[in-house]
Amino acid sequence: MDLIYAILSPKLMSQIFVGLSRTVILFIVASGLSLILGVLRIPNIWHGSLYMVGAFMMFTISGAFGGGSVGFWMALILAPLGVAFVSLIAERSFFQHLYEREHIMLLLLTFAFSLVFGDLVKMVWGMEYKSVPVPQIFQGSVHLFGGLPFPLYNVFLLAIGPIVAVALWLIVNKTKIGKISRAAAVDREMVGAVGINVSWVFAFVFIIGCLLAGLGGALVAPTVNVSLGMDQTLIMEAFLIVIIGGLGNIWGALLGALIFGLAQSLGILIWPQFGIVFPYAAVTIVLLLRPTGLLKSTW
Amino acid sequence: MKKVIYLFVFMVGFLGVSLFSSSSYGANTIKIGIVDTYSGPPATMSQDVLDGFKMVVNEINAKGGILGKKIEFVTRDEKFKPDVGLAMAKELVLKENVDILMGTISSSTALAVSDFARKEKIPFLVTNSRTEKITGEKGHRYVFGIAENTAMAGRAAAFALSKKPFMKYWIAGDDYEYGHSIAENVWNNLKALKPGVQLMEQTWWKVGESDFTPYITQIMSAKPDFLIAATGGATMVTFAKAAKATGLVARIPIYQHTVIDYGVLGPLGADGPEGVYGTAPYLFYYPETPANKAYVNEFRKTYGRYPQMFALFGYSAGRLIEKGFQKAGAVDKEKFINALEGLVIDSPVGKLQMRACDHQLQLPMMFGVVKKSPKFKDFLVASDIVMVPSKDYMPTCEEVLKTRKN
Amino acid sequence: MSKSTLGGKGRIVGGAVLILLFLFPLFLPRFYIYLVSIILLTGLLATSLNLPLGYGGIFQFHHAVFYGVGAYGAALMITKSGLSPWIGFVVGPLTAAFLSLIMGFICIRLSKLYFGMLQISLGSLVWIIVYRWYSFTGGDNGIHGIPVPDVISSQNSAYYFTLLVTLVSLWALHKIINSPFGSTLQGIRDNPVRSAMIGINVKLHQLVVLVIAGFFAGVAGSLFIVVDTAVFPDMLFWIFSLEVLIMCLLGGWFTFLGPMLGAAIIICMRTFVSGFTDYWTLPLGILMILVIFFLPNGILGYIEEKLHGTLVEQTVKE
Repeated sequence: MDLIYAILSPKLMSQIFVGLSRTVILFIVASGLSLILGVLRIPNIWHGSLYMVGAFMMFTISGAFGGGSVGFWMALILAPLGVAFVSLIAERSFFQHLYEREHIMLLLLTFAFSLVFGDLVKMVWGMEYKSVPVPQIFQGSVHLFGGLPFPLYNVFLLAIGPIVAVALWLIVNKTKIGKISRAAAVDREMVGAVGINVSWVFAFVFIIGCLLAGLGGALVAPTVNVSLGMDQTLIMEAFLIVIIGGLGNIWGALLGALIFGLAQSLGILIWPQFGIVFPYAAVTIVLLLRPTGLLKSTW
Repeated sequence: MKKVIYLFVFMVGFLGVSLFSSSSYGANTIKIGIVDTYSGPPATMSQDVLDGFKMVVNEINAKGGILGKKIEFVTRDEKFKPDVGLAMAKELVLKENVDILMGTISSSTALAVSDFARKEKIPFLVTNSRTEKITGEKGHRYVFGIAENTAMAGRAAAFALSKKPFMKYWIAGDDYEYGHSIAENVWNNLKALKPGVQLMEQTWWKVGESDFTPYITQIMSAKPDFLIAATGGATMVTFAKAAKATGLVARIPIYQHTVIDYGVLGPLGADGPEGVYGTAPYLFYYPETPANKAYVNEFRKTYGRYPQMFALFGYSAGRLIEKGFQKAGAVDKEKFINALEGLVIDSPVGKLQMRACDHQLQLPMMFGVVKKSPKFKDFLVASDIVMVPSKDYMPTCEEVLKTRKN
Repeated sequence: MSKSTLGGKGRIVGGAVLILLFLFPLFLPRFYIYLVSIILLTGLLATSLNLPLGYGGIFQFHHAVFYGVGAYGAALMITKSGLSPWIGFVVGPLTAAFLSLIMGFICIRLSKLYFGMLQISLGSLVWIIVYRWYSFTGGDNGIHGIPVPDVISSQNSAYYFTLLVTLVSLWALHKIINSPFGSTLQGIRDNPVRSAMIGINVKLHQLVVLVIAGFFAGVAGSLFIVVDTAVFPDMLFWIFSLEVLIMCLLGGWFTFLGPMLGAAIIICMRTFVSGFTDYWTLPLGILMILVIFFLPNGILGYIEEKLHGTLVEQTVKE
C-alpha cells in the first residue's frame, strides 16, 4: 500500500495533471495537422502560423467584447472561425492548384505562407506580446493532491480535450462527408470517378484542420505570452506528434500528444534542466521501434 | 514568359534598391548604431531605453548638436537571438559606418557584440544587458556597462536576504547568460554572508519559455523556504503571471531582480505579484527629488507614460555621449573612450560616475517589496524601499579586474 | 568546373565571375566582403543539400543539423582541447559525416516522406541537446570568440580561405555528380525499382550520398567559424533547414549552381531588406510562392530550359 502512495505521490500526480492539460492543446493542434497530412498529404507548416493567429484573434476579439467572461466565450467561438475563414481563402486561391505536385512543393508552399503570415501578424498586431486574461470563473486554482494548487483554467482544458476528440471522431467517422474524406485519403481518383466533387471535400478537410489549429491557439492564449514566434516551436512539436501517432490518425495524435506532454512534465520532475529533451527522446525511441507511427496511418 | 519577367524585375529591383540603400549621410553627424530586441516580450523595455535616449538626443540636436554635429541613430532588431544581433552589429559597423554601438537587452548578444567591438576598436555602450561579465571577466577598453550588472545586484540582494530568516533555497531561472549570472551572484554572496544557507535544487528553463506551470508545480511540491527567480527580460512578466495563477506567490517568498521596476509591474496591473522582493536601480516615484520629478514629467509629456528603469539607461547613454565628445573635443573614438573614463554626468538620481577602472556606471540600488499603492490605482509599487549608494555595494576595482584574464 | 550545362557562353561567364570573386577584396567595401563570404559558405551548404535532394531524390528535410554539428564539433574541439584550430576544422566535417552516417543508417530503411520525418525527429533531438546543454555547448549563447589561426584571421584572408575551400568543395561535388556513382544516383532517383533489379544496392548508394552531403555541410560549418568566430544553436534549427531547402528550390535544384544562386538571393534579401524594414520574411514568402507556381525548377533551371529547349535533368516522380 505504501508503495502505491509513494508512486502516486502528490508531486507526481500534479506533474501528470499539468502534463495532461498541455497534452490537450498539443492534441487539438496535432489532430488538425494529422487530418490535413492524412487526407490531403500536405505537410502543413502553415499550421503553426494559424495557431498563432488564433491566439492573437482571441486577444482582439475578447478585447472587443470588453475583455471579461463574455469576451472570452465570444472569442473562443469566433477566433477559430476566423482562422477557418482565412484558410478557406488560402485553400481555394492557392493550395487547391497544387494537389498533384510532390510533397516537397506543398511543404515549401506552406512554409512560404508561414513566412508571409509571420510578418502579417507583426504588421497587424505589432511587436509586443499580448495578454489575454483568464475569465472570472476560471481564475484561481483548485486544491488537489496534498494541497497543491492546480489552476482552474487547466481543469477547463482537461474537460475540453475529450469533447473535441469525440466531436472530431464523430465528424470523421459518422458523417457522410467524413467517410468520403477517409475514402479520398486512400484513393482520390476513385472517389472522383464516383461523381463526388473531390475538390470541395479536400477544402472541407483543410478548413477543419486549420480550424483546429486556431482553436488550439485560442485556448492556449490565456495561459501564455501571446507573441510572435509561438508558431515555430509549436509546429515542430505538432509534426513530431503526428509522426509518432501515425499520419492521418486522430487517436494517434491523441496518443502522441499524451506521450509528448507527459514526457515533458515528468522529465522536468526527474531532471529539471533537461526536462524538455525528454519528449524529443521519447519521439526518437518510438520512431526507432515503429517508424511509421504507433497507430495505423491513412496511407 | 511574362510572369518570369515580372519575377525578374521584382528581384532585380529589390536587389538594386537594396545595394544602393546604405544611408549616405555625410561626416556632419555623429552616428549611433543601436542593436536591441524590438519584438516579443523584451520589446517594451528596449523601447524604453530608446525613448530615454531620444529625449536627450532631441534636446542636444535642438541646441545644435555636439561640436557642431547632430546626433543621428539607427536601430536594428535582433529578436533576442545572439546570431542575429551579431550580424546586425556587423552591418551597422561595416556598412553603416556608425561611430558608436549601443545595445542590447540580451546578455548573450551583448557578449558576442562586445567581442566584435573589441576587434573593430569601436566603443560599445551596453545599455540594458546586465551580466557582470561585460565589464568583468570579458571587459576591455572598448566596452562600457551602463545598466547595473549582476555582480552589483547580487551583492545588494544578498545583503538584504542575509538579514532574513530563510535557510532552504531553490534557484530557478532562464537558461542563458543573464539567468546564470544573477543566480550565481546572489547565491555566492549570500553564502559568504550567511554560511548556513542551503541550496536544495536548481531549475532552468529555456529562454522565452511560455508555460511555467510544470516547473512551478515541481518547485512548490518540494517546499523550499525561498525561491530565487533568475528571470530575464523575455520571461519576467509571463513568469509573474504564472506565479500568481498557480499560487506560488502566496506560498513561497520570492526574489527577482528588477521585479519592482515599473516595466514589470506596469503591464501586470492588478495582477502583480504582491509580496515578492526585488531590486532595481531606478523607480520613478522614489526618491522624490526635484531632478527626478522634472525628468518624469518631461518623459510623461513626451511619451504619455511613466519611465521604467530602462529609460534611465538610455538617458545616461545620451548624456555620456554628449559630455564624452564635448570633453574629447573631437569625434574620435579613442579620445571619446579616454574622456568617458571617470566622467560624471547629471541624472534624475543625482550625479553618476563612469568608473574608470572597469567602465561600469555607478548606479544606486533600491531594494523593496511589491505592494499595493494608495497613490497608484492601476499597478503595484515597491514599498519599504531601501536605497543603497553605489560605493556601499559595488565590487571594488581590484575584485573586478582580477576576473579579467588580460 | 564552370557551368558546363550552359555551354560555351557559360564558360566565359563563369570565368569572369571567378576572376571577380578573386578581385573583390581590392575594391569592395568591407561589409560586402563579409557578405560574400557568408554567401559562399551558405551556397556550399545548399549545394551539399542538393546532392541528396536534387540528384538523389532523397527527402533531406533537416540538413542544417550536419552544418551545425560540423560547426559545433569544430568549435568545441578548438575551445576545449588545447589543439591547433586546424585540427578543429578537420574534426568538424568528420563529426558531421559521422552523424550523417548514424542518422542515415537509421533513416534509410524508410523512404520518401517518412525518411524526411524521421530525420526531422532525430535532428530535433540533436538540436535540443545542443540547445539545452548549457555547461558544455553554451546553450542559448552559443560559443563566441573562437580563436582562429592568425593566417586566416583578418577579414580578407578569411574571405580568400572561404573562397578557396568553397571552390575546391564545389569541384569535388561536381566530380562526384558527374562520375559513374553520380549517374547511378540519378538513376536511383528516377527509378529505384529498376535500379535494384539491375543489381544496384540502392540503400548503400543513398547512405554514401548522405555521408558525403553531411561532410560538406560540416565543411560549411567550419567555414562559418572562420568568418564569424562564433557558433549558435540556431544553426541546427529546423527552420534554418527549411531556408536552405528554399535556396535550392529558388535557384533550381536540378542544376549544379542553382543552390548557390538561391543562397545569394536569400542572404542578400535578408541583409538588405532588414535595413529598411523589419518585415523581410514577407517578400521572401511571396517570392517563394511565385517561384513555386511559375518557376518550379528554380531560376537557374528556368534559364537552362530557355537556352536548351528542355531541361537537362528530369523531374522527381512521386
